Amino acid sequence: MGGNDRILKQLQEIVGPEYATNDEALMYPYSYDLTWNDPHMPDYVVLPKTVEQIQRILRLANRERIPVVPYVTGTNIGGLCIPEEGGILMDLKRMDQILEINTETGYAVIEPGVSHAKFSAALKKHGYEFGWGVHPASASVLAMAINHGIGHLNGRFGINSQMISSMEVVLPTGEVAKIGSCAYSNSWHSLYPLPMLAGLFIGWIGTTGIVTKLGVWISKIRPYKEVLTIAAESAEDITKYMVAWRDLELCDEVTAVSWWLAQIPIPYPYKEKPADEPEWYSYTVISGWSEEEIAYKKKMWKEVVEREKAKGVKLIDYEYPPEAKRGRTELPSRIVGSTKNYSKACGGGLAWPGTFTPAKNWPIIYNKWKEIYIRHNLSPAVRFTDYRGCHYGMLRLMTPFDKRDPKAVQNAREAMKECIEVGVPLGMIPYKPPVEYWNIINKYADPGWIMLLTKIKDCLDPNHIMNPGKLGVR
Amino acid sequence: MGAEHPLIRKDYEKLAEVYNYISMCTHCTNCRTLYEYGQKENFAAIGCPQGDKFMLESYFGSKSKSSIARGLLKNKLQYTDSVMHAVFTCTTCGACQQMCETDFKPAIMRTIEALRAEAWRFGKVPEAIKRWSAHVKVERNPYMEKHSDRLNWLPSSVRNSLPKKAEYVYFVGCTASYRQKQIALATVNVFKALGVDFTIAEDEWCCGSPMFRTGQWDLAKEFAEHNTALLDKYGAEGFITSCAGCYKALKKDYQEGLPEGYKDKLGIDFHAKVLHSTQVVAERLKKGEVNFTGKFEKVVTYHDPCHLGRHCEVYEEPREVLKAIPGVKLVEMERTRKFSFCCGAGGGVRAAFPEYSLETAAKRVEEAEGTGAEILTSACPFCYRNLKDALEAKGSNMKMMDVIEILNEVLGKK
Repeated sequence: MGGNDRILKQLQEIVGPEYATNDEALMYPYSYDLTWNDPHMPDYVVLPKTVEQIQRILRLANRERIPVVPYVTGTNIGGLCIPEEGGILMDLKRMDQILEINTETGYAVIEPGVSHAKFSAALKKHGYEFGWGVHPASASVLAMAINHGIGHLNGRFGINSQMISSMEVVLPTGEVAKIGSCAYSNSWHSLYPLPMLAGLFIGWIGTTGIVTKLGVWISKIRPYKEVLTIAAESAEDITKYMVAWRDLELCDEVTAVSWWLAQIPIPYPYKEKPADEPEWYSYTVISGWSEEEIAYKKKMWKEVVEREKAKGVKLIDYEYPPEAKRGRTELPSRIVGSTKNYSKACGGGLAWPGTFTPAKNWPIIYNKWKEIYIRHNLSPAVRFTDYRGCHYGMLRLMTPFDKRDPKAVQNAREAMKECIEVGVPLGMIPYKPPVEYWNIINKYADPGWIMLLTKIKDCLDPNHIMNPGKLGVR
Repeated sequence: MGAEHPLIRKDYEKLAEVYNYISMCTHCTNCRTLYEYGQKENFAAIGCPQGDKFMLESYFGSKSKSSIARGLLKNKLQYTDSVMHAVFTCTTCGACQQMCETDFKPAIMRTIEALRAEAWRFGKVPEAIKRWSAHVKVERNPYMEKHSDRLNWLPSSVRNSLPKKAEYVYFVGCTASYRQKQIALATVNVFKALGVDFTIAEDEWCCGSPMFRTGQWDLAKEFAEHNTALLDKYGAEGFITSCAGCYKALKKDYQEGLPEGYKDKLGIDFHAKVLHSTQVVAERLKKGEVNFTGKFEKVVTYHDPCHLGRHCEVYEEPREVLKAIPGVKLVEMERTRKFSFCCGAGGGVRAAFPEYSLETAAKRVEEAEGTGAEILTSACPFCYRNLKDALEAKGSNMKMMDVIEILNEVLGKK
């Protein structure tokens, strides 16, 4: 058995006997994820259904100084829900209601357990969508948004956390707070023009409270979509093209993938790229309200391509197969998000180094990462994606590895940590970082930043019960 | 705990056989949501009845099964009562397998059944399953009935006129022989009306499905050997089944190798035609050989049996039969075909966990009621049984009928 029966009894009194356990057999799936992060068993797993139950659990945890780790499906690819110090694993999947879809104001309100599948199905009935990313359709929309997850509208709106319009949160000490317009009325439309207190719970990977309701902006589905594709010989060339194209802010998304990421599955171990195949492939999704709008965007895209070619950028005309294009317009896709593309026939392991990085440094970091990965006999399966026009973008290295072999796990882990060491001084900020990444990141951090981070964490969570160990500062 | 450990418990022989498949599960959780995008109407629903009921990760979809298997093989878990509960409350409906996109997919069912096979070593098997298992060894059926009573449903006039040789052996199955006898009778009537060249074996044994699904592979082998010999005995070229479970056992478990079936376990050389009764009718419909003599003017909704649908991909023939019946208005539930929701009976669950089984059936019945249909139909006597119990428990106005029963109402009547 895990935790003691005295605490279990209290948890069962809160949520009902069938929704709290300290049985190791039943808790085992919560002890690890698909990454190389070390497994840790929780002492209890509890599945609350209401905000009031969460409040009671957190008050109990404070009284007893027991860690609390929020969880929905645990598919964050960062080990974020692995309970570093044991404690109560709070599985929120029973809170799965879509509370409001407001097409007049363009927002929806959801609970943590709402999956991308459920949300997309509900929104589509109204002709709306949210930013669907490359993830399983069962993953939590709320968890993804508050952890800076990406979506297919990145080029237009930025990452999904930028589409948050209001929230309700239970503080580590058990109080409930509403943030944004919902604090003043029953409308969940905006965080502005108020102080941005939502920032206390976004990007904190579950260390500052439990977000129990989230308002997000939703967008009308544009009826016309097209995927435009091109290839390039080098990371430098594909980056030049992407920068020139994104500056026009005409696309929903522009992404480039290295040859290794374009393979299904990613070659494992490393396989040399055939000399006659391009090293980089890019797709961009354009959408519009009419065929004329699509034609205009396509015309502008062609002009960018021709202009860059004329400047000497080595771009190669290249058409993605229809199925690959379809996968980019019919999201969230169980196939795109299934991890099949990444880890098929490999052995179940998947992790990444990355991500938010200034585009000018993409090629520099990529070339360093390529050297590191080839040395570790791993494929440099890298992705570049622009977020919201020209401001920032993703640099990410998808890494399958064989979890059956401890040496293979350690090899992948060391390679990824090397990549973080290389990337951070060049402006890369990992998102959803495992603890070991934080230890590297924080070496480079401004001391004032660390001080502020620590002060806020101490203020909100005085007994350090919320997902302890995950921030690298507490 | 340090990094993941290699396989260390080689005494879990049956799990070890599929360890490489189990290792391909990435825990992505795709297995829990029935989902399709790109259609006119987007679709999403929970597919796993076990996860829907128990909610913990240790119960949800194929992720939970790969996790428990890994835990056992790596000696992180022992085969406790909790493991038994998580392993045996799965209805083996295959919804998780349907959704999986990793290389674990083809071995998911085999892994679930291997987890159960290992349970027998430790005695960690629900008592109800142990009881019918002891009975089936003697009386060749899991219903606690006598083997000598197996054909009691068949009128003696028909029994005495059965041919000694025929094109097909109608494999009645235990449920239709001992419980839903009206389905067996309707099937005989329909086959006669359609001129199907069939006979019924005097010494049919359970197909083995309950044994396969609960990990009793050695026992199932004995039954497979017996039943496959029936074709030679009756000079038949194939079997026709009423039951989805029998259909999968004869078609897949007897005939296909690792990882889909159990040919590797059975060691029998069996390659024969296996048809479901609705397939026989659908074939004759296509040839214009079915003369309807009445109407069945009802609104009907069809429940896809998991073992006929997802496991064997027979989705259309039962619908073709229903659509051809004069008067029938077929309406679909939200979860149909590969996205169907289990009736809750399979995998030994009805016997071992009757309340949970009925609760699952009630969810399905509620969905059926939502269509406005008067008749809930299926193509499996075992689904019939559970769904009918749920209809009665709910006091529903819907009536349960097998597809062949409906057909029997409009064939051969003036």
